[in-house]
Amino acid sequence: MADNNNLLVQVEDLKIHFFTNEGIVRAVDGVTFDIHSGETLCMVGESGCGKSVTARALLQIVHRPGKIVDGSIVLYRQKSHDQIEKVRISDLEPKGREIRSIRGKDISMIFQEPMTSLSPMYTVGNQIMETIMLHTKADKNQARARTLELLEFVGIPRPNRIIDEYPFRLSGGMRQRAMIAMALSCNPRLLIADEPTTALDVTTQAQIIDLIQGLQKDYDMGVLFITHDLGVVAEIADRVAVMYLGNVVEYSDVYTIFNDPQHPYTQSLLRSIPKVTATREKLEVIRGMVPSPFRRPSGCPFHPRCPKAMPVCSEIEPKTISLTENHQVHCLLFDEDAKKPVREMAS
Amino acid sequence: MTEQTPQSQLNSIATNGKPLLEVRNLKMYFPIVKGIFGKITGYVKAADDVSFYIQSGETLGLVGESGCGKTTVGRCIVRAYKPTDGSIVYQRADETTVDLAKVDSKELQTYRKDIRMIFQDPYSSLNPRMNVFEIISEVLRVNELCSPKEMEYMVAHIMEQCGLRPEYMRRYPHAFSGGERQRIGIARALVTSPRLVVCDEAVSGLDVSVRAQILNLMEDLRREMNLTYLFISHDLSVIRHICDRVAVMYVGKLVELADANALYTNPLHPYTESLMSAVPIPNPNLRDRKNRIRLEGEVADPSNPPSGCYFHPRCRYAKERCSTETPVLRDLGDHHFVACHFADELELTGVRMA
Ligand SMILES: Nc1ncnc2c1ncn2[C@@H]1O[C@H](COP(=O)(O)OP(=O)(O)OP(=O)(O)O)[C@@H](O)[C@H]1O
Ligand SMILES: Nc1ncnc2c1ncn2[C@@H]1O[C@H](COP(=O)(O)OP(=O)(O)OP(=O)(O)O)[C@@H](O)[C@H]1O
Ligand code: SF4
Ligand SMILES: [Mg+2]
Ligand SMILES: [Mg+2]
Repeated sequence: MADNNNLLVQVEDLKIHFFTNEGIVRAVDGVTFDIHSGETLCMVGESGCGKSVTARALLQIVHRPGKIVDGSIVLYRQKSHDQIEKVRISDLEPKGREIRSIRGKDISMIFQEPMTSLSPMYTVGNQIMETIMLHTKADKNQARARTLELLEFVGIPRPNRIIDEYPFRLSGGMRQRAMIAMALSCNPRLLIADEPTTALDVTTQAQIIDLIQGLQKDYDMGVLFITHDLGVVAEIADRVAVMYLGNVVEYSDVYTIFNDPQHPYTQSLLRSIPKVTATREKLEVIRGMVPSPFRRPSGCPFHPRCPKAMPVCSEIEPKTISLTENHQVHCLLFDEDAKKPVREMAS
Repeated sequence: MTEQTPQSQLNSIATNGKPLLEVRNLKMYFPIVKGIFGKITGYVKAADDVSFYIQSGETLGLVGESGCGKTTVGRCIVRAYKPTDGSIVYQRADETTVDLAKVDSKELQTYRKDIRMIFQDPYSSLNPRMNVFEIISEVLRVNELCSPKEMEYMVAHIMEQCGLRPEYMRRYPHAFSGGERQRIGIARALVTSPRLVVCDEAVSGLDVSVRAQILNLMEDLRREMNLTYLFISHDLSVIRHICDRVAVMYVGKLVELADANALYTNPLHPYTESLMSAVPIPNPNLRDRKNRIRLEGEVADPSNPPSGCYFHPRCRYAKERCSTETPVLRDLGDHHFVACHFADELELTGVRMA
């Protein structure tokens, strides 16, 4: 996995801020991760912690008043057989030609909300055909044939009829599958899936995941998978990035995250899952509320809710500590240097 | 008009306990319209002869394949749709009953406060031109349920309970993340202190910690205010956690209905078994050791369902009889209802323990 030849996307110290009338929202505040070909990186974390904003930044779709203010996103793009081109996505013009040639082709995305990416004005089929014709040389008939194939592939019943339906006539899950078909239409190198199966029943979810994993094997596609379902994470992730309030607070392989989580937030998260085998006991919650993005806590942003917080946690911003080569945490418990001066002061 | 189907077995039990809501032989058919003259070429039978009841203070789960008609059933109950046929008998606070399927839109208004729905899609169900205060207070305003001052307080209070910051009251929906918008929808439904809430995927976009908080809140409200829920969800862990009984739908019909424990540990319908086998378990060490049942074959088309048992083309236990004869929903004891010819012979596996 550390094999850099496979590197597909590298995100470094990415910061995305929203400049609202009420103040600056530091929605993404120094996020670092990378994705390799053939790998699945799962991103989890509290609602509003910046997952979707991060994902959209990979395609340069950050809506105003949001802006990438720092850091970089680099796409490693296969130019020819032995030539790899580095594209700094973070520097591209959001409306420019280059990023448009990347969207839907090198990187495609399944959006969290199907209705905002499927237009209500056009049939499902037309929208998928459009994407295909934009990025390939296919003519209308070929595009239609490919669309039918894709709709069938994602498990839509009677694709012959559904291809000419408008999105509002489909059930939530069918819309989601139509979107997945659209995202897969040009065999992307990187698929970003923002809660792609949240709207689906577990058997359909299992089919979609099989489908994505199949494509991943066949085409060596990289996958960034955003989900709240830790069951799905446990089943598909190679690595996991746990986010809290705009930061990646823990980053490691899936086994380490589940079997040996070190960050107090990750530990609490794993404790609040309801068990399919148990009923009605009170669920464990993380005390307090997600803080206002305008009033970010000082020091470690998790400290007001952290069961293990130390006095120093409200004073120093944690930096990333590598516990092992593939296990990073963003927590002062592991920072001997940061803990020291406080102890000395106390004595 | 309403023929007596065997499903009405269910109703006889219901009447003993005075249910808050009793759905009888509910049908919702959507016409398939072709061409500019609007010729009707067929019907999508989104809900086809669905019957169940919900006791006051009870939580009934509704699960099933995506597109099987769960939202349609929910929308019929809150009368966002006018059912094609069947009745929806609701017991008012004064213990008199009314058939919601038959009332006109003016009379419906009087039930809007008591019967609420949390809509599946938080994006399309929030008006982008209204701020959060206006969205949540709309029903209070329209029905003049309280003074403006009280309204402000009530909105702030419910927002806080749903884990939203009251300071954000004047913001518009687009400035919120997916999960935050979902909580706006929950707050909007709960602000009137309703009696019955149809929760359509109400917690599915939430992270586990906020979800736990909302589930705890819903459970507290149920206990304190004797709230009743119809809880639609794909998340079988959540359903298990919050529901007393669970109904399973497949292509517009109920195929199983039982006490939650019985359904999870001892499913009687092959479709339920496949659902249980596909529940993802949050333990990566178990990822290769499971024997998930992969449903093969085409997803059924509700406008042209298969013959016999609708599940037969995908069922691994199907025999000849299954493709010719439609199984009826029958009680196999302890109010465990199932629609499968072979339910009493098959030995099916429940949810995996982890
Ligand atoms: N247009 C905007 N103006 C102001 N703040 C915004 C805007 N868009 C997003 N935000 C803020 O940015 C933060 C991150 O949002 P994002 O959608 O990335 O969250 P998320 O992690 O995907 O959450 P969820 O799991 O709920 O989808 C949130 O606090 C949100 O309120
Ligand atoms: N307004 C409508 N017009 C025509 N057909 C509709 C309409 N609404 C729903 N349908 C169809 O009715 C069927 C049931 O849809 P419904 O939304 O109730 O499913 P669901 O069980 O809620 O699915 P999901 O789990 O994906 O939300 C689907 O085949 C859908 O295409
Ligand atoms: S009736 Fe037949 S096809 Fe239907 S679920 Fe039972 S065994 Fe399977
Ligand atoms: Mg999101
Ligand atoms: Mg639905």
